[in-house]
Amino acid sequence: MTTSTTSQRGGLSSTALASIPIAIAINVVLGQLVQSVLKLPIYLDSIGTVLVGVLLGPLAGAITGLLANVIWGLTLAPSALPFAAVAAVIGLIAGYARQYGAMHSWWKMALAGLLTGVVAAAISAPIATYVFGGVTGAGADVLVAMFQSLGASVLGASFMQGAVSDPLDKTITYLIVWAIISALPKRLLARFGANAQ
Amino acid sequence: MQRTGLFIERAGFLQRLNPLTKATGALLLIGATFLLPAPLTGAALLGGGLLPLALASLVARRFLDILLKTLLPVLISLVLVQGLFFPTADPTIVAIGPLLFRRAGLQFALDTGSRLLVVAGAPLLLFQTTHPGMLVQALIQSGMPRSIGYILLVALQLIPAISERAVGVAEAQRARGLETEGNVLQRIRGVLPLISPLIVGALVEAEERAMAIEARAFNAPGPKTWVRAIPDPPAERMARIAMLTALGTLVVWRVATFFSG
Repeated sequence: MTTSTTSQRGGLSSTALASIPIAIAINVVLGQLVQSVLKLPIYLDSIGTVLVGVLLGPLAGAITGLLANVIWGLTLAPSALPFAAVAAVIGLIAGYARQYGAMHSWWKMALAGLLTGVVAAAISAPIATYVFGGVTGAGADVLVAMFQSLGASVLGASFMQGAVSDPLDKTITYLIVWAIISALPKRLLARFGANAQ
Repeated sequence: MQRTGLFIERAGFLQRLNPLTKATGALLLIGATFLLPAPLTGAALLGGGLLPLALASLVARRFLDILLKTLLPVLISLVLVQGLFFPTADPTIVAIGPLLFRRAGLQFALDTGSRLLVVAGAPLLLFQTTHPGMLVQALIQSGMPRSIGYILLVALQLIPAISERAVGVAEAQRARGLETEGNVLQRIRGVLPLISPLIVGALVEAEERAMAIEARAFNAPGPKTWVRAIPDPPAERMARIAMLTALGTLVVWRVATFFSG
Protein backbone atom coordinates (compact mmCIF):
# COMPACT_ATOMS: atom_id res chain seq x y z
CA MET A 1 0.00 0.00 0.00
CA THR A 2 2.98 2.32 0.08
CA THR A 3 2.84 3.22 -3.60
CA SER A 4 -0.93 3.25 -4.02
CA THR A 5 -1.47 6.95 -3.41
CA THR A 6 1.86 8.32 -4.48
CA SER A 7 1.40 8.76 -8.24
CA GLN A 8 0.41 12.37 -7.75
CA ARG A 9 2.30 14.43 -10.30
CA GLY A 10 -0.75 16.12 -11.84
CA GLY A 11 -2.19 17.22 -8.48
CA LEU A 12 -4.82 14.49 -8.05
CA SER A 13 -3.78 10.98 -7.00
CA SER A 14 -4.97 7.93 -8.89
CA THR A 15 -7.22 7.12 -5.92
CA ALA A 16 -8.81 10.58 -6.21
CA LEU A 17 -9.16 10.17 -9.97
CA ALA A 18 -10.96 6.87 -9.45
CA SER A 19 -13.14 7.98 -6.52
CA ILE A 20 -14.34 11.40 -7.70
CA PRO A 21 -16.36 10.20 -10.73
CA ILE A 22 -18.04 7.54 -8.56
CA ALA A 23 -18.84 10.13 -5.89
CA ILE A 24 -20.29 12.39 -8.59
CA ALA A 25 -22.51 9.59 -9.87
CA ILE A 26 -23.68 8.84 -6.31
CA ASN A 27 -24.54 12.53 -5.78
CA VAL A 28 -26.55 12.70 -8.98
CA VAL A 29 -28.37 9.39 -8.53
CA LEU A 30 -29.29 10.01 -4.87
CA GLY A 31 -30.05 13.69 -5.45
CA GLN A 32 -32.33 12.83 -8.34
CA LEU A 33 -34.00 10.08 -6.29
CA VAL A 34 -34.70 12.34 -3.31
CA GLN A 35 -35.74 15.31 -5.45
CA SER A 36 -38.04 13.56 -7.91
CA VAL A 37 -39.28 10.49 -6.03
CA LEU A 38 -39.37 11.32 -2.33
CA LYS A 39 -40.17 15.08 -2.65
CA LEU A 40 -38.72 15.82 0.79
CA PRO A 41 -37.56 19.32 1.87
CA ILE A 42 -33.99 17.93 2.10
CA TYR A 43 -31.69 17.06 -0.81
CA LEU A 44 -29.15 14.33 0.13
CA ASP A 45 -27.26 15.33 -3.03
CA SER A 46 -23.86 15.87 -1.40
CA ILE A 47 -23.10 12.51 0.23
CA GLY A 48 -20.45 11.77 -2.43
CA THR A 49 -18.97 15.26 -2.05
CA VAL A 50 -18.66 15.02 1.74
CA LEU A 51 -17.32 11.46 1.48
CA VAL A 52 -14.54 12.51 -0.91
CA GLY A 53 -13.82 15.67 1.10
CA VAL A 54 -13.45 13.67 4.31
CA LEU A 55 -11.41 10.86 2.72
CA LEU A 56 -9.22 12.79 0.26
CA GLY A 57 -9.08 16.40 1.45
CA PRO A 58 -10.49 19.85 0.60
CA LEU A 59 -9.29 20.07 -3.02
CA ALA A 60 -10.74 16.70 -4.05
CA GLY A 61 -13.96 17.54 -2.19
CA ALA A 62 -14.34 20.89 -3.91
CA ILE A 63 -13.72 19.35 -7.35
CA THR A 64 -16.30 16.64 -6.64
CA GLY A 65 -18.96 19.16 -5.63
CA LEU A 66 -18.30 21.51 -8.52
CA LEU A 67 -18.24 18.87 -11.26
CA ALA A 68 -21.17 16.93 -9.77
CA ASN A 69 -23.44 19.95 -10.11
CA VAL A 70 -22.07 20.78 -13.56
CA ILE A 71 -22.85 17.25 -14.79
CA TRP A 72 -26.18 17.01 -13.00
CA GLY A 73 -27.18 20.42 -14.30
CA LEU A 74 -26.19 19.64 -17.87
CA THR A 75 -27.86 16.23 -18.02
CA LEU A 76 -30.88 15.76 -15.75
CA ALA A 77 -31.70 18.80 -13.60
CA PRO A 78 -30.83 22.26 -14.98
CA SER A 79 -31.62 23.74 -11.56
CA ALA A 80 -28.44 22.16 -10.11
CA LEU A 81 -25.98 24.01 -12.35
CA PRO A 82 -26.07 27.50 -10.74
CA PHE A 83 -25.49 25.89 -7.32
CA ALA A 84 -22.13 24.40 -8.42
CA ALA A 85 -20.25 27.04 -6.40
CA VAL A 86 -22.19 26.07 -3.27
CA ALA A 87 -21.37 22.39 -3.86
CA ALA A 88 -17.68 23.23 -4.21
CA VAL A 89 -17.70 25.05 -0.85
CA ILE A 90 -19.45 22.06 0.76
CA GLY A 91 -16.64 19.77 -0.43
CA LEU A 92 -14.02 22.24 0.76
CA ILE A 93 -15.54 22.42 4.25
CA ALA A 94 -15.78 18.61 4.43
CA GLY A 95 -12.05 18.40 3.72
CA TYR A 96 -11.21 20.87 6.47
CA ALA A 97 -13.66 19.22 8.89
CA ARG A 98 -11.57 16.07 8.56
CA GLN A 99 -8.38 18.00 9.28
CA TYR A 100 -9.94 19.37 12.46
CA GLY A 101 -10.73 15.84 13.62
CA ALA A 102 -14.45 15.68 12.85
CA MET A 103 -14.18 11.94 12.21
CA HIS A 104 -13.28 11.21 15.83
CA SER A 105 -16.90 11.03 16.96
CA TRP A 106 -20.38 11.14 15.48
CA TRP A 107 -21.38 14.35 17.25
CA LYS A 108 -18.41 16.23 15.81
CA MET A 109 -19.55 15.11 12.37
CA ALA A 110 -23.08 16.31 13.17
CA LEU A 111 -21.65 19.66 14.25
CA ALA A 112 -19.58 19.93 11.06
CA GLY A 113 -22.74 19.14 9.08
CA LEU A 114 -24.69 21.83 10.89
CA LEU A 115 -21.96 24.40 10.18
CA THR A 116 -21.76 23.36 6.52
CA GLY A 117 -25.53 23.74 6.27
CA VAL A 118 -25.51 27.31 7.57
CA VAL A 119 -22.75 28.32 5.15
CA ALA A 120 -24.52 26.54 2.26
CA ALA A 121 -27.80 28.31 3.05
CA ALA A 122 -26.09 31.71 3.09
CA ILE A 123 -24.46 31.17 -0.34
CA SER A 124 -27.51 29.46 -1.90
CA ALA A 125 -30.06 32.15 -1.07
CA PRO A 126 -28.87 34.84 -3.54
CA ILE A 127 -28.52 32.20 -6.29
CA ALA A 128 -32.00 30.79 -5.62
CA THR A 129 -33.44 34.30 -5.67
CA TYR A 130 -31.80 35.79 -8.74
CA VAL A 131 -31.72 32.70 -10.96
CA PHE A 132 -34.88 30.85 -9.96
CA GLY A 133 -37.07 33.42 -8.26
CA GLY A 134 -36.88 31.42 -5.06
CA VAL A 135 -38.14 28.05 -6.32
CA THR A 136 -36.47 24.99 -7.85
CA GLY A 137 -39.40 22.63 -8.44
CA ALA A 138 -38.37 20.48 -5.46
CA GLY A 139 -40.12 19.71 -2.19
CA ALA A 140 -38.53 22.67 -0.41
CA ASP A 141 -40.57 25.16 -2.49
CA VAL A 142 -43.47 24.84 -0.07
CA LEU A 143 -41.24 26.40 2.62
CA VAL A 144 -40.47 29.41 0.38
CA ALA A 145 -44.21 29.93 -0.14
CA MET A 146 -44.81 29.73 3.60
CA PHE A 147 -42.12 32.29 4.53
CA GLN A 148 -43.26 34.71 1.81
CA SER A 149 -46.85 34.49 3.02
CA LEU A 150 -45.53 35.37 6.48
CA GLY A 151 -44.15 38.60 5.03
CA ALA A 152 -40.58 37.81 3.97
CA SER A 153 -38.98 39.10 0.76
CA VAL A 154 -37.99 36.61 -1.96
CA LEU A 155 -34.33 36.73 -0.83
CA GLY A 156 -35.33 36.52 2.83
CA ALA A 157 -37.68 33.59 2.21
CA SER A 158 -35.00 31.81 0.15
CA PHE A 159 -32.50 32.19 2.98
CA MET A 160 -34.99 31.03 5.58
CA GLN A 161 -35.88 28.02 3.44
CA GLY A 162 -32.15 27.24 3.20
CA ALA A 163 -31.68 27.83 6.92
CA VAL A 164 -34.35 25.19 7.60
CA SER A 165 -33.39 22.65 4.92
CA ASP A 166 -29.60 22.93 4.65
CA PRO A 167 -28.41 22.38 8.25
CA LEU A 168 -30.80 19.42 8.56
CA ASP A 169 -29.75 18.04 5.19
CA LYS A 170 -26.02 18.43 5.80
CA THR A 171 -26.21 17.03 9.36
CA ILE A 172 -27.95 13.91 8.00
CA THR A 173 -25.40 13.75 5.17
CA TYR A 174 -22.41 13.93 7.53
CA LEU A 175 -23.91 11.28 9.81
CA ILE A 176 -24.48 8.96 6.84
CA VAL A 177 -20.87 9.53 5.73
CA TRP A 178 -19.65 8.83 9.26
CA ALA A 179 -21.65 5.58 9.39
CA ILE A 180 -20.36 4.49 5.99
CA ILE A 181 -16.69 5.21 6.73
CA SER A 182 -16.99 3.43 10.08
CA ALA A 183 -18.34 0.39 8.23
CA LEU A 184 -15.64 0.34 5.53
CA PRO A 185 -13.08 -2.47 5.61
CA LYS A 186 -9.67 -1.30 6.91
CA ARG A 187 -7.93 -2.58 3.77
CA LEU A 188 -10.06 -0.26 1.64
CA LEU A 189 -9.46 2.71 3.95
CA ALA A 190 -5.71 2.18 3.62
CA ARG A 191 -6.14 3.02 -0.05
CA PHE A 192 -7.03 6.54 1.01
CA GLY A 193 -3.65 6.87 2.68
CA ALA A 194 -2.78 9.16 5.54
CA ASN A 195 -6.10 10.96 5.21
CA ALA A 196 -7.98 7.99 6.65
CA GLN A 197 -7.55 6.21 9.92
CA MET B 1 -24.71 6.14 -21.70
CA GLN B 2 -28.37 5.50 -22.41
CA ARG B 3 -30.30 7.69 -20.02
CA THR B 4 -27.86 10.51 -19.42
CA GLY B 5 -26.55 10.65 -22.98
CA LEU B 6 -28.18 13.66 -24.61
CA PHE B 7 -26.15 13.53 -27.81
CA ILE B 8 -28.19 12.72 -30.93
CA GLU B 9 -26.21 11.65 -33.99
CA ARG B 10 -27.48 13.88 -36.84
CA ALA B 11 -25.76 15.76 -39.63
CA GLY B 12 -27.09 19.26 -38.95
CA PHE B 13 -25.64 22.74 -38.65
CA LEU B 14 -24.39 22.76 -35.05
CA GLN B 15 -22.95 19.25 -35.30
CA ARG B 16 -20.39 20.53 -37.84
CA LEU B 17 -19.07 23.29 -35.55
CA ASN B 18 -16.11 23.06 -33.20
CA PRO B 19 -17.34 22.23 -29.65
CA LEU B 20 -15.62 25.33 -28.27
CA THR B 21 -17.57 27.59 -30.64
CA LYS B 22 -20.85 26.09 -29.46
CA ALA B 23 -19.84 26.33 -25.79
CA THR B 24 -18.91 30.01 -26.27
CA GLY B 25 -22.26 30.62 -27.95
CA ALA B 26 -24.11 28.98 -25.04
CA LEU B 27 -22.16 31.17 -22.61
CA LEU B 28 -23.07 34.31 -24.57
CA LEU B 29 -26.78 33.40 -24.62
CA ILE B 30 -26.83 32.71 -20.87
CA GLY B 31 -24.95 35.93 -20.16
CA ALA B 32 -27.26 37.96 -22.39
CA THR B 33 -30.43 36.69 -20.76
CA PHE B 34 -29.25 37.96 -17.36
CA LEU B 35 -27.75 41.22 -18.63
CA LEU B 36 -30.61 42.37 -20.88
CA PRO B 37 -34.15 43.12 -19.67
CA ALA B 38 -36.52 40.14 -19.14
CA PRO B 39 -38.88 38.68 -20.32
CA LEU B 40 -38.36 40.05 -23.85
CA THR B 41 -34.72 38.93 -24.04
CA GLY B 42 -35.53 35.41 -22.91
CA ALA B 43 -38.35 35.09 -25.43
CA ALA B 44 -36.21 36.58 -28.24
CA LEU B 45 -33.21 34.36 -27.51
CA LEU B 46 -35.39 31.27 -27.32
CA GLY B 47 -37.53 32.03 -30.37
CA GLY B 48 -34.86 33.78 -32.46
CA GLY B 49 -31.76 31.88 -31.31
CA LEU B 50 -32.20 28.46 -29.76
CA LEU B 51 -35.24 27.24 -31.70
CA PRO B 52 -33.92 28.04 -35.22
CA LEU B 53 -30.56 26.50 -34.24
CA ALA B 54 -32.31 23.36 -32.99
CA LEU B 55 -34.28 23.20 -36.26
CA ALA B 56 -31.14 23.67 -38.36
CA SER B 57 -29.46 20.92 -36.36
CA LEU B 58 -32.43 18.53 -36.83
CA VAL B 59 -32.99 18.04 -33.09
CA ALA B 60 -35.90 20.48 -32.53
CA ARG B 61 -38.48 17.92 -31.38
CA ARG B 62 -36.22 16.22 -28.82
CA PHE B 63 -34.92 19.65 -27.72
CA LEU B 64 -38.39 20.99 -26.89
CA ASP B 65 -39.44 17.67 -25.40
CA ILE B 66 -36.56 17.53 -22.88
CA LEU B 67 -36.58 21.27 -22.18
CA LEU B 68 -40.26 21.27 -21.22
CA LYS B 69 -40.07 17.98 -19.33
CA THR B 70 -37.22 19.18 -17.11
CA LEU B 71 -38.47 22.74 -16.61
CA LEU B 72 -42.23 22.23 -16.27
CA PRO B 73 -42.12 21.42 -12.51
CA VAL B 74 -39.98 24.54 -11.89
CA LEU B 75 -42.23 26.75 -14.04
CA ILE B 76 -45.43 25.52 -12.37
CA SER B 77 -43.88 25.98 -8.94
CA LEU B 78 -42.70 29.46 -9.96
CA VAL B 79 -46.16 30.60 -11.09
CA LEU B 80 -47.90 29.14 -8.02
CA VAL B 81 -45.42 30.22 -5.34
CA GLN B 82 -44.61 33.68 -6.72
CA GLY B 83 -48.02 34.31 -8.29
CA LEU B 84 -49.78 33.67 -4.99
CA PHE B 85 -47.20 34.68 -2.37
CA PHE B 86 -44.96 37.34 -4.00
CA PRO B 87 -44.22 40.09 -1.46
CA THR B 88 -45.44 43.28 -3.18
CA ALA B 89 -47.01 46.64 -2.44
CA ASP B 90 -48.94 46.43 -5.75
CA PRO B 91 -52.50 45.43 -4.80
CA THR B 92 -53.58 44.41 -8.35
CA ILE B 93 -55.15 40.95 -8.33
CA VAL B 94 -55.63 38.69 -11.36
CA ALA B 95 -58.29 36.03 -10.82
CA ILE B 96 -57.73 32.81 -12.78
CA GLY B 97 -60.45 30.33 -11.90
CA PRO B 98 -60.64 30.05 -8.11
CA LEU B 99 -57.05 31.33 -7.62
CA LEU B 100 -56.29 34.99 -6.90
CA PHE B 101 -52.86 35.81 -8.39
CA ARG B 102 -50.87 38.96 -7.62
CA ARG B 103 -49.98 40.78 -10.82
CA ALA B 104 -46.44 41.69 -9.70
CA GLY B 105 -45.89 38.06 -8.75
CA LEU B 106 -46.98 36.81 -12.18
CA GLN B 107 -44.68 39.39 -13.80
CA PHE B 108 -41.79 38.14 -11.65
CA ALA B 109 -42.60 34.52 -12.56
CA LEU B 110 -42.71 35.43 -16.27
CA ASP B 111 -39.34 37.23 -16.13
CA THR B 112 -37.61 34.42 -14.24
CA GLY B 113 -39.27 31.70 -16.33
CA SER B 114 -38.17 33.26 -19.62
CA ARG B 115 -34.58 33.38 -18.33
CA LEU B 116 -34.70 29.82 -17.09
CA LEU B 117 -35.72 28.52 -20.52
CA VAL B 118 -32.55 30.05 -22.04
CA VAL B 119 -30.29 29.08 -19.11
CA ALA B 120 -31.42 25.46 -19.42
CA GLY B 121 -31.93 25.44 -23.18
CA ALA B 122 -28.48 26.64 -24.27
CA PRO B 123 -26.49 23.86 -22.53
CA LEU B 124 -29.14 21.32 -23.55
CA LEU B 125 -28.73 22.20 -27.23
CA LEU B 126 -24.94 22.14 -26.82
CA PHE B 127 -25.05 18.59 -25.46
CA GLN B 128 -27.62 17.36 -27.95
CA THR B 129 -25.36 18.39 -30.82
CA THR B 130 -21.95 17.64 -29.27
CA HIS B 131 -20.51 14.29 -28.27
CA PRO B 132 -19.27 14.73 -24.66
CA GLY B 133 -15.96 13.10 -25.60
CA MET B 134 -15.34 15.68 -28.33
CA LEU B 135 -16.20 18.58 -26.02
CA VAL B 136 -13.86 17.30 -23.32
CA GLN B 137 -11.08 16.70 -25.87
CA ALA B 138 -11.48 20.23 -27.23
CA LEU B 139 -11.40 21.66 -23.70
CA ILE B 140 -8.28 19.67 -22.77
CA GLN B 141 -6.54 20.74 -25.99
CA SER B 142 -7.23 24.35 -25.11
CA GLY B 143 -5.76 24.02 -21.65
CA MET B 144 -8.14 22.27 -19.23
CA PRO B 145 -6.35 19.76 -16.92
CA ARG B 146 -6.54 16.22 -18.28
CA SER B 147 -7.65 14.86 -14.90
CA ILE B 148 -10.77 17.08 -14.93
CA GLY B 149 -11.65 15.80 -18.40
CA TYR B 150 -11.22 12.21 -17.25
CA ILE B 151 -13.46 12.79 -14.21
CA LEU B 152 -16.20 14.37 -16.35
CA LEU B 153 -16.27 11.55 -18.90
CA VAL B 154 -16.13 8.70 -16.39
CA ALA B 155 -18.84 10.29 -14.23
CA LEU B 156 -21.12 10.63 -17.28
CA GLN B 157 -20.65 6.93 -18.04
CA LEU B 158 -21.13 5.87 -14.41
CA ILE B 159 -24.45 7.62 -13.73
CA PRO B 160 -26.61 5.04 -15.59
CA ALA B 161 -24.62 2.16 -14.06
CA ILE B 162 -24.94 3.46 -10.48
CA SER B 163 -28.59 4.28 -11.10
CA GLU B 164 -29.19 0.68 -12.19
CA ARG B 165 -27.35 -0.63 -9.14
CA ALA B 166 -29.53 1.57 -6.90
CA VAL B 167 -32.61 -0.11 -8.34
CA GLY B 168 -30.99 -3.50 -7.74
CA VAL B 169 -30.17 -2.68 -4.11
CA ALA B 170 -33.71 -1.39 -3.55
CA GLU B 171 -35.18 -4.64 -4.88
CA ALA B 172 -32.82 -6.77 -2.80
CA GLN B 173 -33.70 -4.88 0.39
CA ARG B 174 -37.41 -5.02 -0.36
CA ALA B 175 -37.10 -8.78 -0.78
CA ARG B 176 -35.70 -8.80 2.77
CA GLY B 177 -38.77 -6.94 4.00
CA LEU B 178 -37.67 -3.28 3.87
CA GLU B 179 -40.54 -0.75 3.73
CA THR B 180 -39.92 1.91 1.06
CA GLU B 181 -43.41 3.37 1.08
CA GLY B 182 -45.57 5.09 3.69
CA ASN B 183 -45.30 8.41 5.51
CA VAL B 184 -42.29 10.77 5.43
CA LEU B 185 -40.49 9.19 8.41
CA GLN B 186 -40.89 5.69 7.02
CA ARG B 187 -39.58 6.82 3.65
CA ILE B 188 -36.51 8.47 5.24
CA ARG B 189 -35.82 5.33 7.26
CA GLY B 190 -36.15 3.30 4.08
CA VAL B 191 -33.49 5.37 2.31
CA LEU B 192 -30.64 4.51 4.68
CA PRO B 193 -30.39 0.75 3.97
CA LEU B 194 -30.36 1.63 0.27
CA ILE B 195 -27.53 4.16 0.48
CA SER B 196 -24.87 2.28 2.39
CA PRO B 197 -24.58 -0.88 0.22
CA LEU B 198 -24.61 1.35 -2.84
CA ILE B 199 -21.71 3.51 -1.63
CA VAL B 200 -19.60 0.73 -0.09
CA GLY B 201 -19.91 -1.26 -3.32
CA ALA B 202 -18.95 1.79 -5.36
CA LEU B 203 -15.86 2.46 -3.19
CA VAL B 204 -14.67 -1.11 -3.67
CA GLU B 205 -14.97 -0.50 -7.40
CA ALA B 206 -13.00 2.75 -7.02
CA GLU B 207 -10.05 0.74 -5.74
CA GLU B 208 -9.99 -1.44 -8.87
CA ARG B 209 -10.30 1.64 -11.04
CA ALA B 210 -7.37 3.31 -9.27
CA MET B 211 -5.19 0.29 -10.01
CA ALA B 212 -6.23 0.40 -13.66
CA ILE B 213 -5.31 4.10 -13.83
CA GLU B 214 -1.87 3.36 -12.41
CA ALA B 215 -1.36 0.34 -14.68
CA ARG B 216 -2.01 2.56 -17.71
CA ALA B 217 0.28 5.34 -16.47
CA PHE B 218 -2.44 7.99 -16.66
CA ASN B 219 -0.39 10.31 -14.45
CA ALA B 220 2.78 9.90 -16.52
CA PRO B 221 4.29 13.26 -17.52
CA GLY B 222 4.89 14.36 -21.11
CA PRO B 223 2.69 15.24 -24.09
CA LYS B 224 -0.17 12.96 -25.13
CA THR B 225 -1.47 12.25 -28.62
CA TRP B 226 -5.11 12.15 -29.77
CA VAL B 227 -6.84 9.60 -31.98
CA ARG B 228 -9.23 12.11 -33.50
CA ALA B 229 -8.51 15.61 -34.73
CA ILE B 230 -11.19 18.26 -34.14
CA PRO B 231 -11.36 20.78 -37.01
CA ASP B 232 -11.13 24.43 -35.96
CA PRO B 233 -11.32 26.71 -39.03
CA PRO B 234 -10.15 30.36 -38.65
CA ALA B 235 -13.72 31.62 -39.20
CA GLU B 236 -14.85 29.83 -36.05
CA ARG B 237 -11.93 31.19 -34.05
CA MET B 238 -12.96 34.70 -35.19
CA ALA B 239 -16.60 33.96 -34.25
CA ARG B 240 -15.51 32.93 -30.74
CA ILE B 241 -13.55 36.14 -30.27
CA ALA B 242 -16.56 38.14 -31.54
CA MET B 243 -18.93 36.38 -29.14
CA LEU B 244 -16.62 36.90 -26.15
CA THR B 245 -16.23 40.57 -27.11
CA ALA B 246 -20.03 40.91 -27.29
CA LEU B 247 -20.37 39.33 -23.85
CA GLY B 248 -17.70 41.64 -22.42
CA THR B 249 -19.43 44.67 -23.96
CA LEU B 250 -22.77 43.61 -22.43
CA VAL B 251 -21.18 43.30 -18.98
CA VAL B 252 -19.51 46.73 -19.26
CA TRP B 253 -22.76 48.29 -20.53
CA ARG B 254 -24.78 46.72 -17.71
CA VAL B 255 -22.34 47.86 -15.04
CA ALA B 256 -22.24 51.38 -16.55
CA THR B 257 -26.06 51.72 -16.65
CA PHE B 258 -26.28 50.31 -13.12
CA PHE B 259 -24.09 53.06 -11.73
CA SER B 260 -25.50 55.90 -13.83
CA GLY B 261 -29.17 54.93 -13.38
